[in-house]
Amino acid sequence: MIFRRKLLSVFALTVFFSVALIAGLVLAVTRRAFEKSEDARTAALVGQFQREFNRQGEDIARRVGATAASDPVSRMATALSGTGADSAGYFDLARSMAESNQLDFLEFVDWHGHIISSAQWPAKFGYPENGFDNLSSAAGQSAFLKQEELQDSTTLGVFAVQTSHAGEHPVYVIGGRRLDKNFLSSIDLPVGMRALLYQNRGDRFSSELVLDPSATSSALDRSRPPDKFAALVDAVRQSHQEMTAKIQWSYDQADDELFRAIPLWGAGKDRPLLGILLIGNSQRSYVELKRHIRDSALLAGGGGIVLAIILSSWVAARVTRPVEQLARAAQDVASGNWDARVEVNGHDEVSQLAESFNRMTADLLAQKERLVQAERVAAWRELARRLAHELKNPLFPLQITVENLVRSRMQSPEQFDEVFRESSRTLLAEISNLKTIIGRFSEFSKMPHPQLQAVQINEILRAVAQLFQAQLKAPGREPIECKFNLDKNLGAIAADPELLHRALSNLVLNAMDAMPSGGTLTLGSSRSGAGVIVEVSDTGTGLTPEECERIFTPYYTSKQHGTGLGLAIVQSVVSDHGGRISVRSEPGRGTTFVIELPDGSAASQESALTSDASKSIS
Amino acid sequence: MRLIVWRWLAVSSLLIAALALQAETRPQYGGTLHIAVHAVPTSLDPADSLTANSFAGRNITLLMFETLVTTDDSNRVRGLLATSWQASSGNARWQFHLRHNVKFHDGTALTAEIAAASLRISNPSWKVATDGDSLVIECDGPDSELPAELAQSRNAIAKRSLDNPIGTGPFHIVDWQLGKKLTLTANEDYWRGRPFLDGIEIEMGKSFRDQLTALELGRVDLVEVALEQAHRVSLEGRRIVSSAPVELLALVFTRDAQASEERSLREALALSIDRASIRSVLLQGSGQATGGVLPNWMSGYDFVFSTDADLVRARHAREQVRTIPTWTLGYDGSDPVARLLADRIALNGKDAGLALQLTSAGTSDIRLMRIPLPSADPWIDIAEVSAICRIPPAKNKSTSIEDLYAAEQTLLTAQRIIPLFHLPVSYAAAPTLQDWNVRPDGTLTMADVWLRSSKP
Repeated sequence: MIFRRKLLSVFALTVFFSVALIAGLVLAVTRRAFEKSEDARTAALVGQFQREFNRQGEDIARRVGATAASDPVSRMATALSGTGADSAGYFDLARSMAESNQLDFLEFVDWHGHIISSAQWPAKFGYPENGFDNLSSAAGQSAFLKQEELQDSTTLGVFAVQTSHAGEHPVYVIGGRRLDKNFLSSIDLPVGMRALLYQNRGDRFSSELVLDPSATSSALDRSRPPDKFAALVDAVRQSHQEMTAKIQWSYDQADDELFRAIPLWGAGKDRPLLGILLIGNSQRSYVELKRHIRDSALLAGGGGIVLAIILSSWVAARVTRPVEQLARAAQDVASGNWDARVEVNGHDEVSQLAESFNRMTADLLAQKERLVQAERVAAWRELARRLAHELKNPLFPLQITVENLVRSRMQSPEQFDEVFRESSRTLLAEISNLKTIIGRFSEFSKMPHPQLQAVQINEILRAVAQLFQAQLKAPGREPIECKFNLDKNLGAIAADPELLHRALSNLVLNAMDAMPSGGTLTLGSSRSGAGVIVEVSDTGTGLTPEECERIFTPYYTSKQHGTGLGLAIVQSVVSDHGGRISVRSEPGRGTTFVIELPDGSAASQESALTSDASKSIS
Repeated sequence: MRLIVWRWLAVSSLLIAALALQAETRPQYGGTLHIAVHAVPTSLDPADSLTANSFAGRNITLLMFETLVTTDDSNRVRGLLATSWQASSGNARWQFHLRHNVKFHDGTALTAEIAAASLRISNPSWKVATDGDSLVIECDGPDSELPAELAQSRNAIAKRSLDNPIGTGPFHIVDWQLGKKLTLTANEDYWRGRPFLDGIEIEMGKSFRDQLTALELGRVDLVEVALEQAHRVSLEGRRIVSSAPVELLALVFTRDAQASEERSLREALALSIDRASIRSVLLQGSGQATGGVLPNWMSGYDFVFSTDADLVRARHAREQVRTIPTWTLGYDGSDPVARLLADRIALNGKDAGLALQLTSAGTSDIRLMRIPLPSADPWIDIAEVSAICRIPPAKNKSTSIEDLYAAEQTLLTAQRIIPLFHLPVSYAAAPTLQDWNVRPDGTLTMADVWLRSSKP
């Protein structure tokens, strides 16, 4: 399952990062494309503005030239060429000529530089024309940008200067048109672009100086106050270079506009900064496309992740199912089910692994059977060896005794009776010994299953001690003191009292055998968790660590005449009760056998299970 | 015999030629005079201030109404509806004897009661009483100028009823289209005899340009000529007649100059104005630059007031003030020259460091005004200008030139007014219009006008 989650995570992350990477690349490419497009459109617009400026300039120059060559102006120039001529009669001429020639500005200036007549500011007659460094050099030149002061305002205009020569002194004709909203409106603007003009006057930015031909009183224009241009305009005024800035009109990025500010220079030596052309490019299409790409990426990413989860689940299931089967089979093998097999589908690596697993379990099973067979053979051999050994010992005295009887019959008939009696006793004793040996083997082979009932373990311990009380203090041997270390609060447990009595008796017999010189036998009981601990300790010779490891092996004995089945029987009884037996010993200081028995319920369950298993086996 | 015949023929031809010549110069009855004016009177009542304060209004009034007395070309008072008058109590009580056999246009006779009622409406503060066939006017104090005052058109005698007021003049109303056209017809029972004209049609609200065009096309016989066009029209050979300078073009402040800084600024403005250039260019040489209220022909001392611009002194006066306020300069938006004049004055003021903002709205700090001088009597004009400037008029009226100068100087010292120009009024007439004239006060004499037939 973890492997499947890992696979899912890897698939999902791969899809997510792939989509994110693609979306990022698309956004970057889109942004670059838009920037190129904006640059191209702005450059085209600037070029169009320049062409319109030149076209208007040429038209103005032509109209100013026509004005200078007109009859009224020629007559005026002729009249004013004389000494003492009065120009008062011509102060209104500029206005009529401006109307007829469709000029916003028109002034006639005498050779002293004084205004004779002004269409845009009629009251300025007689005042010097201060807008030029040198009027004569400006005459005939191409149109130029100029700031024109009016009665109540100042405006930008495209101007041209011509002269009317009718005598010794010329009359300068200065005409022009406003660079105003109408001029800006004449520029064909692509969709999403607009052109504004800032008239550079004064020391500070003023929103009233921004000419916006598209401005209306609509809510949209009210939401786009010209004050926003202050920073950009001030930057251009300080640097005198083109600048670009993004103007944020609202919290919606789609309303943003990217403005390029282009300085417009006037004529003359100083080339004053008269205006700033503001070309705005709406970011709406770009932002909307960016949003579309983002939404598409999110949709594709989300859908991809879901699809990846579904597909990866399917793929992972296909990939991990054999692995999981292998894992389950391995767990079965570990739990003892050597027949576990894995289904093999296909010919991929996992299938090969399953085949290998199946071969492995088959081999293991075969080896196990061989091992069991070998162990069984070995056990039989050991049993035969032990049986032969056990039987050989009594048989030898039997042979000797019979041979003594025969020899006595033949050599000393007189003593035959005596020998016969003694030999008969010996034969009976050895035969009895043989019967004992055979009985133990028979008893080991016929170990009954425990019949559980409520048992007070302390009572069994006292009964065992009572059974061996006489032997512990039998004459002819060193006395053994029996002590009790019992838990009085110990309750009843579920156990077979007869088997438990037999097992504890074996332990007491072993303890007595271990204390030929006397000592102390201690019987103890205590509670441990959900079970009971029974301890049988002696102060005998003790066991070596090697003896402790092998002491519960059947037919192993450290005694000269032991069958090696006593402790095996004890271990079998304890195991049938669901308990565990262990030994701790130090050579020369005694040995303690510790039996851990479960409580009643566990014992009953275990017993029931064992009984069921026995029944099923039988 | 042949010689006798030839002599007889020669004498006869001369006699016929003389008779023909006499026939051309002798007044002819009949015809309708067409007049165009720029003004748009809203009332025909002589007492209406708007009517009385315009030359067109005065001329129209005098076609239908008559005053008790009038002034001749020498500015002497002559009787009109009053045959004689006497002053008593040190010129504080005046008695006027009315002319007999004078009838209003509705046929009712002129009586002292009607005349007294008319004067009470024109001058609510006057105490006017009747004494038989005569009127008695009692003044608060000596007033030697009362007869001249009575000669003004606003004191014309009118019989007022629910309809239009009725006068005793040579013409009476036939049709009155408010603000558009006034049609008059000859008063057959006029006490001085029926006028030569059968009627007069006056078109109102015509621009000066349209008036000249109409005159050119022969649609009208008499038009007003704008000040700046008078010179050009005369150069074109038109028959043009101008009055003496009877109109004062001036800047009038709406508030008193109380603080010294305010007085310095007003002095700076007065010194910055280049009257010579304005007269030469904007007025095309018409009018007379002035620094006083009364024209020189009236006072005889107008030349003592300087009219030259002095920018140095103007800037010096302006530098006495730290904070320069922005004055609003108001002008009559219907007057084409007024905008130019105001603009030029603002430009001159700017040279001195003053800030003037033009406006055609009714309220302003300074007003560029054309003040028609109502009378050839200087004291009346001084009083009129003083009233406009809201300055108490001089009480010490006398014939002394020193007193007149002192009164005018007092008016100027208050710095409520900056006189700029004295302007005449000009009229152009068709060649067929005969025996018309412009009096020194700018009013037309139309009683004896007649139209010469244009056919040979």
